[in-house]
Amino acid sequence: MGDRKAGAYGTSTGGDTAFRKTWDRDEYAAKAVERDQRIKEEGKARHEAAAAGKKYVRRASTPPDARDTEARKARLNVADQVGKTSIVPAGAGQGKRGKGAGFYCDACDLTFKDNLQFVEHLNSKQHLVATGESGEVRRATLEEVKDRFEWLKRKRDEETAKDAVDLGTRIENAREIEEKEREEKRRKRNEKRRKTKDGMGVPEVKVENDGNIF
Amino acid sequence: MAHQADAKRALDERGYTGALIRGDNPLKLFEKPVRDRIVDSYYWKEQCFGLNAATLLDRAVELSFIGGTYGVAQKPTPFLCLAFKLLQITPGREIIMFYLEQEEYKYLRALAAFYIRLAWEKDEDVYKTLEPYLNDMRKLKRRTREGWALTYMDQFIDDLLINTRVCATTLPKINPRLFLEDEDRLEPRESALGEELEEMENEDEDAGSEGEVEEVANGDAARNGRSISEQRERSEER
Repeated sequence: MGDRKAGAYGTSTGGDTAFRKTWDRDEYAAKAVERDQRIKEEGKARHEAAAAGKKYVRRASTPPDARDTEARKARLNVADQVGKTSIVPAGAGQGKRGKGAGFYCDACDLTFKDNLQFVEHLNSKQHLVATGESGEVRRATLEEVKDRFEWLKRKRDEETAKDAVDLGTRIENAREIEEKEREEKRRKRNEKRRKTKDGMGVPEVKVENDGNIF
Repeated sequence: MAHQADAKRALDERGYTGALIRGDNPLKLFEKPVRDRIVDSYYWKEQCFGLNAATLLDRAVELSFIGGTYGVAQKPTPFLCLAFKLLQITPGREIIMFYLEQEEYKYLRALAAFYIRLAWEKDEDVYKTLEPYLNDMRKLKRRTREGWALTYMDQFIDDLLINTRVCATTLPKINPRLFLEDEDRLEPRESALGEELEEMENEDEDAGSEGEVEEVANGDAARNGRSISEQRERSEER
Protein backbone atom coordinates (compact mmCIF):
# COMPACT_ATOMS: atom_id res chain seq x y z
CA MET A 1 0.00 0.00 0.00
CA GLY A 2 1.37 3.38 -1.03
CA ASP A 3 0.22 6.82 -0.23
CA ARG A 4 -3.37 6.95 1.07
CA LYS A 5 -4.11 10.21 -0.61
CA ALA A 6 -3.11 8.98 -4.02
CA GLY A 7 -5.84 8.15 -6.46
CA ALA A 8 -6.35 4.81 -8.12
CA TYR A 9 -4.13 5.89 -10.98
CA GLY A 10 -1.40 7.34 -8.84
CA THR A 11 -2.54 10.96 -9.05
CA SER A 12 -1.77 12.99 -5.98
CA THR A 13 -4.96 15.09 -5.90
CA GLY A 14 -7.29 12.19 -5.32
CA GLY A 15 -8.59 12.50 -8.86
CA ASP A 16 -11.61 10.32 -9.25
CA THR A 17 -12.57 10.47 -5.55
CA ALA A 18 -12.55 14.26 -5.34
CA PHE A 19 -16.34 14.27 -5.62
CA ARG A 20 -16.70 12.68 -2.19
CA LYS A 21 -17.93 14.77 0.64
CA THR A 22 -15.29 15.80 3.08
CA TRP A 23 -16.44 15.56 6.67
CA ASP A 24 -15.77 18.08 9.34
CA ARG A 25 -14.60 15.65 11.96
CA ASP A 26 -14.60 18.10 14.85
CA GLU A 27 -18.19 19.13 14.28
CA TYR A 28 -19.39 15.56 14.29
CA ALA A 29 -17.31 14.69 17.31
CA ALA A 30 -18.94 17.56 19.20
CA LYS A 31 -22.36 16.37 18.08
CA ALA A 32 -21.63 12.86 19.28
CA VAL A 33 -20.54 14.13 22.68
CA GLU A 34 -23.71 16.17 22.97
CA ARG A 35 -25.85 13.21 22.04
CA ASP A 36 -24.11 10.96 24.56
CA GLN A 37 -24.69 13.53 27.22
CA ARG A 38 -28.36 13.83 26.38
CA ILE A 39 -28.86 10.09 26.48
CA LYS A 40 -27.06 9.90 29.77
CA GLU A 41 -29.25 12.62 31.26
CA GLU A 42 -32.41 11.00 30.00
CA GLY A 43 -31.31 7.67 31.41
CA LYS A 44 -30.74 9.32 34.74
CA ALA A 45 -34.18 10.93 34.71
CA ARG A 46 -35.70 7.60 33.69
CA HIS A 47 -33.93 5.87 36.54
CA GLU A 48 -35.05 8.49 39.04
CA ALA A 49 -38.65 8.24 37.85
CA ALA A 50 -38.54 4.46 38.17
CA ALA A 51 -37.15 4.77 41.69
CA ALA A 52 -40.03 7.08 42.58
CA GLY A 53 -42.46 4.55 41.10
CA LYS A 54 -43.46 6.75 38.19
CA LYS A 55 -43.31 6.40 34.48
CA TYR A 56 -40.90 8.64 32.66
CA VAL A 57 -42.44 10.56 29.80
CA ARG A 58 -40.27 12.77 27.65
CA ARG A 59 -42.03 15.99 26.91
CA ALA A 60 -41.55 18.66 24.35
CA SER A 61 -40.72 21.82 26.21
CA THR A 62 -43.29 24.60 26.36
CA PRO A 63 -41.97 27.77 24.75
CA PRO A 64 -40.89 30.18 27.49
CA ASP A 65 -43.03 33.02 26.18
CA ALA A 66 -46.26 31.01 26.11
CA ARG A 67 -48.99 32.71 28.12
CA ASP A 68 -51.78 31.11 30.10
CA THR A 69 -54.98 30.23 28.39
CA GLU A 70 -57.87 32.35 29.52
CA ALA A 71 -61.60 32.02 29.32
CA ARG A 72 -63.33 33.69 26.41
CA LYS A 73 -64.21 37.26 27.23
CA ALA A 74 -67.46 37.18 25.32
CA ARG A 75 -69.67 34.75 23.54
CA LEU A 76 -68.52 33.76 20.09
CA ASN A 77 -70.40 35.94 17.68
CA VAL A 78 -71.34 33.37 15.11
CA ALA A 79 -73.99 35.57 13.52
CA ASP A 80 -71.83 38.53 12.56
CA GLN A 81 -71.49 37.37 8.96
CA VAL A 82 -75.21 36.93 8.51
CA GLY A 83 -76.62 39.11 5.75
CA LYS A 84 -73.21 40.02 4.39
CA THR A 85 -71.91 39.13 0.99
CA SER A 86 -68.28 38.27 0.67
CA ILE A 87 -66.20 37.56 -2.35
CA VAL A 88 -64.32 34.31 -2.20
CA PRO A 89 -61.40 33.99 -4.60
CA ALA A 90 -61.88 31.26 -7.15
CA GLY A 91 -60.08 28.12 -6.14
CA ALA A 92 -59.48 29.55 -2.70
CA GLY A 93 -58.47 27.04 -0.14
CA GLN A 94 -58.00 23.35 -0.46
CA GLY A 95 -60.35 21.79 2.04
CA LYS A 96 -60.06 23.86 5.16
CA ARG A 97 -56.88 25.60 4.22
CA GLY A 98 -56.97 29.26 3.25
CA LYS A 99 -59.68 31.85 3.38
CA GLY A 100 -62.98 30.73 2.03
CA ALA A 101 -66.65 30.94 2.82
CA GLY A 102 -67.33 30.22 6.48
CA PHE A 103 -65.67 30.89 9.80
CA TYR A 104 -62.10 31.94 9.21
CA CYS A 105 -59.31 31.57 11.76
CA ASP A 106 -56.61 34.19 11.17
CA ALA A 107 -53.93 32.57 13.25
CA CYS A 108 -54.09 29.17 11.59
CA ASP A 109 -55.32 30.23 8.14
CA LEU A 110 -58.19 27.75 8.21
CA THR A 111 -61.83 28.05 7.31
CA PHE A 112 -64.61 26.09 8.96
CA LYS A 113 -68.06 25.49 7.68
CA ASP A 114 -69.95 25.44 10.97
CA ASN A 115 -69.60 26.95 14.40
CA LEU A 116 -69.18 23.62 16.15
CA GLN A 117 -66.10 22.80 14.09
CA PHE A 118 -64.91 26.35 14.54
CA VAL A 119 -65.16 26.32 18.32
CA GLU A 120 -63.55 22.91 18.46
CA HIS A 121 -60.69 24.34 16.45
CA LEU A 122 -60.38 27.33 18.79
CA ASN A 123 -60.01 24.90 21.68
CA SER A 124 -57.55 22.68 19.87
CA LYS A 125 -53.88 22.35 20.60
CA GLN A 126 -53.07 23.48 17.08
CA HIS A 127 -54.78 26.81 17.57
CA LEU A 128 -53.40 27.31 21.07
CA VAL A 129 -49.87 26.75 19.83
CA ALA A 130 -50.42 29.08 16.89
CA THR A 131 -51.64 31.84 19.18
CA GLY A 132 -48.86 31.26 21.71
CA GLU A 133 -50.98 29.90 24.52
CA SER A 134 -49.96 27.13 26.84
CA GLY A 135 -53.34 25.44 27.15
CA GLU A 136 -53.09 25.73 30.90
CA VAL A 137 -55.22 27.98 33.04
CA ARG A 138 -53.90 29.73 36.07
CA ARG A 139 -55.61 28.83 39.32
CA ALA A 140 -57.60 31.63 40.88
CA THR A 141 -57.08 32.58 44.49
CA LEU A 142 -59.86 33.49 46.89
CA GLU A 143 -58.95 37.17 46.52
CA GLU A 144 -59.39 37.02 42.77
CA VAL A 145 -62.71 35.27 43.17
CA LYS A 146 -63.91 37.96 45.56
CA ASP A 147 -62.74 40.76 43.27
CA ARG A 148 -64.45 39.18 40.32
CA PHE A 149 -67.64 38.79 42.29
CA GLU A 150 -67.62 42.43 43.36
CA TRP A 151 -67.01 43.51 39.79
CA LEU A 152 -69.90 41.39 38.51
CA LYS A 153 -72.18 42.78 41.18
CA ARG A 154 -71.23 46.33 40.30
CA LYS A 155 -71.78 45.66 36.63
CA ARG A 156 -75.22 44.24 37.30
CA ASP A 157 -76.17 47.17 39.49
CA GLU A 158 -75.10 49.63 36.84
CA GLU A 159 -77.15 47.82 34.26
CA THR A 160 -80.25 47.67 36.43
CA ALA A 161 -79.90 51.37 37.25
CA LYS A 162 -80.37 52.04 33.54
CA ASP A 163 -83.71 50.25 33.57
CA ALA A 164 -85.56 53.32 34.73
CA VAL A 165 -89.27 53.66 34.20
CA ASP A 166 -89.84 57.39 34.39
CA LEU A 167 -89.60 59.39 31.22
CA GLY A 168 -87.04 61.98 32.37
CA THR A 169 -84.29 59.49 33.18
CA ARG A 170 -84.99 57.48 30.06
CA ILE A 171 -84.54 60.54 27.86
CA GLU A 172 -81.36 61.34 29.79
CA ASN A 173 -80.04 57.81 29.26
CA ALA A 174 -80.87 57.89 25.55
CA ARG A 175 -79.03 61.20 25.19
CA GLU A 176 -75.97 59.76 26.93
CA ILE A 177 -75.90 56.76 24.65
CA GLU A 178 -76.27 58.95 21.59
CA GLU A 179 -73.46 61.19 22.76
CA LYS A 180 -71.22 58.17 23.24
CA GLU A 181 -71.95 56.88 19.76
CA ARG A 182 -71.22 60.29 18.26
CA GLU A 183 -67.94 60.44 20.17
CA GLU A 184 -66.98 57.04 18.85
CA LYS A 185 -67.73 58.07 15.28
CA ARG A 186 -65.68 61.24 15.65
CA ARG A 187 -62.78 59.26 17.03
CA LYS A 188 -62.87 56.85 14.11
CA ARG A 189 -63.02 59.66 11.58
CA ASN A 190 -60.04 61.40 13.13
CA GLU A 191 -58.09 58.19 13.16
CA LYS A 192 -58.75 57.68 9.49
CA ARG A 193 -57.69 61.26 8.72
CA ARG A 194 -54.44 60.80 10.60
CA LYS A 195 -53.56 57.68 8.71
CA THR A 196 -53.20 59.38 5.32
CA LYS A 197 -50.04 61.40 4.67
CA ASP A 198 -51.50 64.76 3.70
CA GLY A 199 -53.93 64.73 6.61
CA MET A 200 -56.85 65.18 4.24
CA GLY A 201 -58.19 61.78 5.05
CA VAL A 202 -59.37 59.15 2.69
CA PRO A 203 -62.23 60.15 0.43
CA GLU A 204 -65.56 58.81 1.49
CA VAL A 205 -65.58 55.84 -0.80
CA LYS A 206 -66.33 52.50 0.73
CA VAL A 207 -63.29 50.29 0.34
CA GLU A 208 -63.69 46.62 -0.03
CA ASN A 209 -62.23 45.58 3.25
CA ASP A 210 -61.76 41.87 3.62
CA GLY A 211 -63.78 41.33 0.50
CA ASN A 212 -66.95 42.21 2.38
CA ILE A 213 -69.55 44.20 0.56
CA PHE A 214 -72.11 45.72 2.84
CA MET B 1 -50.31 26.05 39.86
CA ALA B 2 -52.40 25.58 36.83
CA HIS B 3 -54.96 23.29 35.37
CA GLN B 4 -55.90 22.31 31.85
CA ALA B 5 -58.23 24.49 29.83
CA ASP B 6 -60.48 21.58 28.88
CA ALA B 7 -61.18 18.19 30.38
CA LYS B 8 -59.55 16.16 27.64
CA ARG B 9 -56.59 15.04 29.66
CA ALA B 10 -58.60 14.49 32.82
CA LEU B 11 -60.96 12.20 30.92
CA ASP B 12 -58.17 10.20 29.33
CA GLU B 13 -58.63 6.54 30.22
CA ARG B 14 -54.90 5.92 30.23
CA GLY B 15 -54.29 7.49 33.55
CA TYR B 16 -55.16 10.49 35.60
CA THR B 17 -52.93 12.67 37.68
CA GLY B 18 -54.56 15.39 39.68
CA ALA B 19 -56.78 16.06 42.63
CA LEU B 20 -58.65 13.02 43.91
CA ILE B 21 -62.06 12.80 45.50
CA ARG B 22 -62.79 9.59 47.38
CA GLY B 23 -59.62 8.21 45.86
CA ASP B 24 -60.82 8.60 42.31
CA ASN B 25 -60.97 11.05 39.44
CA PRO B 26 -63.56 13.69 40.46
CA LEU B 27 -65.01 13.77 36.96
CA LYS B 28 -66.10 10.17 37.40
CA LEU B 29 -68.71 11.31 39.89
CA PHE B 30 -70.78 12.02 36.80
CA GLU B 31 -71.89 8.99 34.87
CA LYS B 32 -70.26 8.17 31.58
CA PRO B 33 -73.24 9.02 29.32
CA VAL B 34 -73.73 12.37 31.04
CA ARG B 35 -70.00 13.04 30.88
CA ASP B 36 -69.95 12.41 27.16
CA ARG B 37 -72.97 14.61 26.58
CA ILE B 38 -71.44 17.46 28.55
CA VAL B 39 -68.14 17.28 26.68
CA ASP B 40 -70.04 17.20 23.39
CA SER B 41 -72.30 20.12 24.19
CA TYR B 42 -71.80 23.51 22.60
CA TYR B 43 -72.13 25.28 25.92
CA TRP B 44 -69.21 23.31 27.30
CA LYS B 45 -67.01 23.95 24.30
CA GLU B 46 -67.79 27.59 23.94
CA GLN B 47 -68.47 28.84 27.43
CA CYS B 48 -66.60 26.50 29.73
CA PHE B 49 -63.25 26.52 27.97
CA GLY B 50 -60.42 27.87 30.06
CA LEU B 51 -62.50 28.85 33.07
CA ASN B 52 -60.96 29.12 36.48
CA ALA B 53 -62.65 29.65 39.83
CA ALA B 54 -62.89 33.40 39.21
CA THR B 55 -64.05 33.47 35.61
CA LEU B 56 -66.51 30.69 36.35
CA LEU B 57 -68.46 33.34 38.24
CA ASP B 58 -69.17 35.15 34.96
CA ARG B 59 -71.06 32.12 33.75
CA ALA B 60 -72.58 31.19 37.08
CA VAL B 61 -74.24 34.56 37.60
CA GLU B 62 -75.96 34.14 34.26
CA LEU B 63 -77.54 30.84 35.26
CA SER B 64 -81.30 31.04 35.28
CA PHE B 65 -82.31 27.49 36.06
CA ILE B 66 -81.02 24.27 37.55
CA GLY B 67 -81.50 20.76 36.22
CA GLY B 68 -79.83 17.74 34.78
CA THR B 69 -80.43 16.82 31.19
CA TYR B 70 -83.37 17.78 29.04
CA GLY B 71 -85.04 17.08 25.76
CA VAL B 72 -85.08 13.96 23.65
CA ALA B 73 -81.35 14.29 23.05
CA GLN B 74 -80.80 14.70 26.81
CA LYS B 75 -78.81 17.86 26.47
CA PRO B 76 -77.01 18.86 29.65
CA THR B 77 -78.06 22.12 31.29
CA PRO B 78 -75.52 24.91 31.83
CA PHE B 79 -75.90 24.19 35.54
CA LEU B 80 -74.67 20.65 35.02
CA CYS B 81 -71.81 21.78 32.77
CA LEU B 82 -70.61 24.26 35.36
CA ALA B 83 -70.80 21.64 38.10
CA PHE B 84 -68.66 19.43 35.88
CA LYS B 85 -66.20 22.27 35.41
CA LEU B 86 -66.05 22.78 39.16
CA LEU B 87 -65.21 19.11 39.59
CA GLN B 88 -62.47 19.50 37.04
CA ILE B 89 -60.81 22.51 38.62
CA THR B 90 -61.60 21.42 42.22
CA PRO B 91 -61.29 24.85 43.81
CA GLY B 92 -60.29 25.19 47.44
CA ARG B 93 -62.76 24.88 50.27
CA GLU B 94 -62.74 28.58 51.02
CA ILE B 95 -63.71 29.45 47.45
CA ILE B 96 -66.63 27.04 47.51
CA MET B 97 -67.73 28.45 50.85
CA PHE B 98 -67.59 31.92 49.34
CA TYR B 99 -69.86 30.74 46.51
CA LEU B 100 -72.25 29.25 49.03
CA GLU B 101 -72.33 32.13 51.47
CA GLN B 102 -72.95 34.96 49.03
CA GLU B 103 -76.54 36.20 49.03
CA GLU B 104 -76.74 37.80 45.62
CA TYR B 105 -77.03 34.92 43.19
CA LYS B 106 -79.21 31.99 44.19
CA TYR B 107 -78.19 29.73 41.33
CA LEU B 108 -74.54 30.14 42.30
CA ARG B 109 -75.48 29.02 45.78
CA ALA B 110 -77.35 26.03 44.38
CA LEU B 111 -74.28 25.17 42.31
CA ALA B 112 -72.02 25.33 45.34
CA ALA B 113 -74.43 23.18 47.37
CA PHE B 114 -74.52 20.60 44.60
CA TYR B 115 -70.72 20.57 44.44
CA ILE B 116 -70.39 20.22 48.20
CA ARG B 117 -72.73 17.25 48.27
CA LEU B 118 -70.76 15.62 45.45
CA ALA B 119 -67.22 16.38 46.46
CA TRP B 120 -66.95 16.65 50.21
CA GLU B 121 -66.07 13.39 51.77
CA LYS B 122 -67.10 13.81 55.41
CA ASP B 123 -70.82 13.31 56.00
CA GLU B 124 -70.85 15.60 59.03
CA ASP B 125 -69.32 18.42 57.01
CA VAL B 126 -71.94 18.09 54.32
CA TYR B 127 -74.81 18.17 56.82
CA LYS B 128 -73.34 21.00 58.86
CA THR B 129 -72.59 23.14 55.82
CA LEU B 130 -75.79 22.61 53.89
CA GLU B 131 -78.41 22.52 56.64
CA PRO B 132 -78.28 26.25 57.47
CA TYR B 133 -79.51 26.89 53.94
CA LEU B 134 -82.71 25.01 54.61
CA ASN B 135 -83.87 28.45 55.76
CA ASP B 136 -83.38 29.88 52.29
CA MET B 137 -86.84 29.83 50.74
CA ARG B 138 -86.07 31.42 47.39
CA LYS B 139 -87.62 29.96 44.28
CA LEU B 140 -85.54 28.00 41.81
CA LYS B 141 -86.50 27.18 38.27
CA ARG B 142 -85.75 23.59 37.39
CA ARG B 143 -85.56 22.22 33.89
CA THR B 144 -86.98 18.72 33.78
CA ARG B 145 -86.66 16.12 31.05
CA GLU B 146 -89.56 17.74 29.23
CA GLY B 147 -90.68 21.09 30.53
CA TRP B 148 -90.09 23.13 33.61
CA ALA B 149 -90.80 22.82 37.30
CA LEU B 150 -90.71 25.15 40.25
CA THR B 151 -88.70 24.26 43.30
CA TYR B 152 -87.21 26.10 46.26
CA MET B 153 -83.72 26.38 47.63
CA ASP B 154 -84.62 24.53 50.84
CA GLN B 155 -86.28 21.80 48.84
CA PHE B 156 -83.25 21.48 46.59
CA ILE B 157 -80.89 21.22 49.55
CA ASP B 158 -83.20 18.70 51.16
CA ASP B 159 -83.19 16.66 47.96
CA LEU B 160 -79.42 16.73 48.00
CA LEU B 161 -79.32 15.39 51.55
CA ILE B 162 -81.99 12.72 51.17
CA ASN B 163 -82.39 11.66 47.56
CA THR B 164 -79.89 9.48 45.77
CA ARG B 165 -80.35 11.01 42.34
CA VAL B 166 -80.38 14.74 41.70
CA CYS B 167 -79.76 16.54 38.42
CA ALA B 168 -78.96 13.47 36.33
CA THR B 169 -76.27 12.46 38.80
CA THR B 170 -76.15 9.64 41.28
CA LEU B 171 -74.93 11.25 44.44
CA PRO B 172 -72.27 9.48 46.47
CA LYS B 173 -73.58 7.55 49.40
CA ILE B 174 -74.14 9.56 52.54
CA ASN B 175 -75.22 8.26 55.92
CA PRO B 176 -78.67 9.34 57.03
CA ARG B 177 -78.82 12.01 59.69
CA LEU B 178 -80.31 9.72 62.33
CA PHE B 179 -77.40 7.31 61.98
CA LEU B 180 -74.86 10.08 62.47
CA GLU B 181 -76.76 11.30 65.50
CA ASP B 182 -76.71 7.83 67.00
CA GLU B 183 -72.98 7.68 66.50
CA ASP B 184 -72.62 11.09 68.18
CA ARG B 185 -71.06 12.57 65.10
CA LEU B 186 -73.82 15.14 64.76
CA GLU B 187 -75.97 17.12 67.16
CA PRO B 188 -79.72 16.80 66.64
CA ARG B 189 -80.90 19.52 64.33
CA GLU B 190 -82.77 22.50 65.67
CA SER B 191 -85.66 23.19 63.37
CA ALA B 192 -86.14 26.78 62.34
CA LEU B 193 -89.77 26.44 63.31
CA GLY B 194 -88.65 25.70 66.88
CA GLU B 195 -91.47 25.42 69.37
CA GLU B 196 -94.12 26.15 66.81
CA LEU B 197 -93.55 22.72 65.37
CA GLU B 198 -94.09 21.03 68.73
CA GLU B 199 -97.24 23.00 69.31
CA MET B 200 -98.50 21.99 65.92
CA GLU B 201 -97.81 18.37 66.71
CA ASN B 202 -99.60 18.61 70.04
CA GLU B 203 -102.61 20.05 68.29
CA ASP B 204 -102.54 17.26 65.80
CA GLU B 205 -102.31 14.67 68.55
CA ASP B 206 -105.20 16.27 70.38
CA ALA B 207 -107.28 16.14 67.26
CA GLY B 208 -106.22 12.51 66.94
CA SER B 209 -106.01 12.65 63.20
CA GLU B 210 -103.79 10.39 61.12
CA GLY B 211 -101.51 7.78 62.61
CA GLU B 212 -98.67 9.06 60.50
CA VAL B 213 -98.33 12.25 62.44
CA GLU B 214 -97.15 10.39 65.52
CA GLU B 215 -94.05 9.39 63.67
CA VAL B 216 -93.15 13.02 63.26
CA ALA B 217 -93.11 13.58 67.03
CA ASN B 218 -90.01 15.50 68.17
CA GLY B 219 -88.49 15.68 64.75
CA ASP B 220 -88.71 17.53 61.53
CA ALA B 221 -88.64 16.50 57.94
CA ALA B 222 -84.95 15.91 57.48
CA ARG B 223 -84.62 13.91 60.69
CA ASN B 224 -87.45 11.71 59.77
CA GLY B 225 -86.04 10.84 56.40
CA ARG B 226 -89.02 12.31 54.66
CA SER B 227 -88.32 14.98 52.11
CA ILE B 228 -89.69 18.48 52.21
CA SER B 229 -91.30 18.02 48.84
CA GLU B 230 -93.35 15.13 50.18
CA GLN B 231 -94.39 17.19 53.14
CA ARG B 232 -95.40 20.08 50.94
CA GLU B 233 -97.58 17.76 48.91
CA ARG B 234 -99.14 16.37 52.04
CA SER B 235 -99.92 19.77 53.45
CA GLU B 236 -101.50 20.75 50.17
CA GLU B 237 -103.73 17.70 50.28
CA ARG B 238 -105.08 18.63 53.68
